Amino acid sequence: MTEEPKLSEELKKMEYEDLLPVEKKLIGYSLILGTVLLGFLVWVSYTFFPAGH
Amino acid sequence: MEKKKQGIDEDKLAEGQCNSQETCTTEKRGISEDWLAVWIGLFIFLLSLGVYIGIDLLGFGITTSIWTDLSKALKPVAKPFADLGGIGSLVATYVFLLAVMTIGAAALKAKIGRFVVGFTIVFFISYLCWIIGSWANIAVTTPPDMKKFGITWSLKLTPEAGFIVALVVGLIVGNFFQGFAGAIKEAVRPELYIKTAIVILGGFLGITAAEKLGLATAVMFRGLCAIVEAYLIYWALVYYIARKYFKFSREWAAPLASGISICGVSAAIATGGAIKARPMIPIMVSSLVVIFAVVELLVLPFIAEEFLYKEPMVAGAWMGLAVKTDGAAVASGAVADSLIRAKALASEGVNYKDGWIMGAATTVKVFIDVFIGIWAFILAIVWCTVIECKPGERVRPGQIWDRFPKFVIGYVVTFLVILYIGVNSPALMGKTKAAMGEGNVFRGIFFTMTFFTIGVVSNFKKLWEEGIGRLAAVYLLCLFGFIIWIGLFISWLFFHGVKPPLVTG
Repeated sequence: MTEEPKLSEELKKMEYEDLLPVEKKLIGYSLILGTVLLGFLVWVSYTFFPAGH
Repeated sequence: MEKKKQGIDEDKLAEGQCNSQETCTTEKRGISEDWLAVWIGLFIFLLSLGVYIGIDLLGFGITTSIWTDLSKALKPVAKPFADLGGIGSLVATYVFLLAVMTIGAAALKAKIGRFVVGFTIVFFISYLCWIIGSWANIAVTTPPDMKKFGITWSLKLTPEAGFIVALVVGLIVGNFFQGFAGAIKEAVRPELYIKTAIVILGGFLGITAAEKLGLATAVMFRGLCAIVEAYLIYWALVYYIARKYFKFSREWAAPLASGISICGVSAAIATGGAIKARPMIPIMVSSLVVIFAVVELLVLPFIAEEFLYKEPMVAGAWMGLAVKTDGAAVASGAVADSLIRAKALASEGVNYKDGWIMGAATTVKVFIDVFIGIWAFILAIVWCTVIECKPGERVRPGQIWDRFPKFVIGYVVTFLVILYIGVNSPALMGKTKAAMGEGNVFRGIFFTMTFFTIGVVSNFKKLWEEGIGRLAAVYLLCLFGFIIWIGLFISWLFFHGVKPPLVTG
């Protein structure tokens, strides 16, 4: 029989890890890319795939 | 031995063959539910095509019309089977599905005896819920229909109320009758049922697309755009909040971000595999995802009905983007489809064709699923390149295929086959509709069983488990704080002004 791990114990065991600069950079890139693409994809949708606008 | 720690088979988990502590045990290993859904869905789809050669192979399938006199409610879907009667049709449908699903259970290496008992109970409870939902006082939506049925009041929930009834009954079973839930658990497989339903649904949506190909293409492209946005914006925000404000470690934050922001269970598991998190982490995240998906399923379609009935396609895409897990998302799309069409007809006199709102939800959800493997691959590269690479870790492009949701293949095949026939042989449209109508009967039954079994597996007592507060807090904050609303904004951006075709004639 294997013992099922308990959530509370697993969370207690979790060690604090600083948010690394590289993580911040990746989050930033993702959000910037998302925002830029948003404008581009909306333009492509409205221009090449019109459907009621 | 490393792969077997804590009794969890990591290979099974990575390949999507399981999604919980119980199903991921190292004991047995059959075909995955994902592949099984493809084969069962395609089998039912193929049988439905018998209509083209004049053989009604699925005509015995049970249907329920809105009723005040129950004895007249049930009947087979095809006229040649009328002699079967309602009960005969119900029994024939049950026997057929039991045979198919039991063969499937054997392929899964499930316990056959327990599966047969469980499936029988799941089938009949689910269908009973569907019948209850079709009671005129629950389902009728317009004054003329109220007059027709001779009733003075109705909850106006449409026959799809049967889904909600099934969900509520499932929740009662799962939370208050756990002994009973345990007895039927071998057949409590919401992911199998919804994936099978989605494969069959592909054919139904193929006809819809064939009738309005330009619109369908636009809907698909816009769905693709919407999910690119969801991945890039949702994931980054949730990950940041989990790390910065809730102090989760990377091992917890990444599966949590995928679970909350992308596609619930499968995304959490794929991400856990990509960053080499311990397998119990995505499983714990998944158990929370399922619970909140039920809350969304019970709430969002009704909000959409109230506020988005003038923008039905926005509502459909929103269900696909905001509601987590395949089952809950497509199910929300089905409920929203029915509620919104009824409301638009009652208050605006606009009669939209059915299936388009659900189609938008399904399209968005399927695209999300397709990208999970790619996203997990990108995360694996990023993790191993710039964050932390575990000793001996290698990132293989083959992992994209390992994590690809195989049921999508079935969905695409049925969709394209019917789209091809619909576009190239318009003269066959009548037969195509009849064929897909028969398949759709079984899609509806799989949907209903999905609702019931989602309820059964949603153990709300989990929320009282020690330590869950922090996990639930980040989930609640992100889901209701911005995921739902950004999802609504993105859906509106891509789908506002896009309207389903109207029913003519």
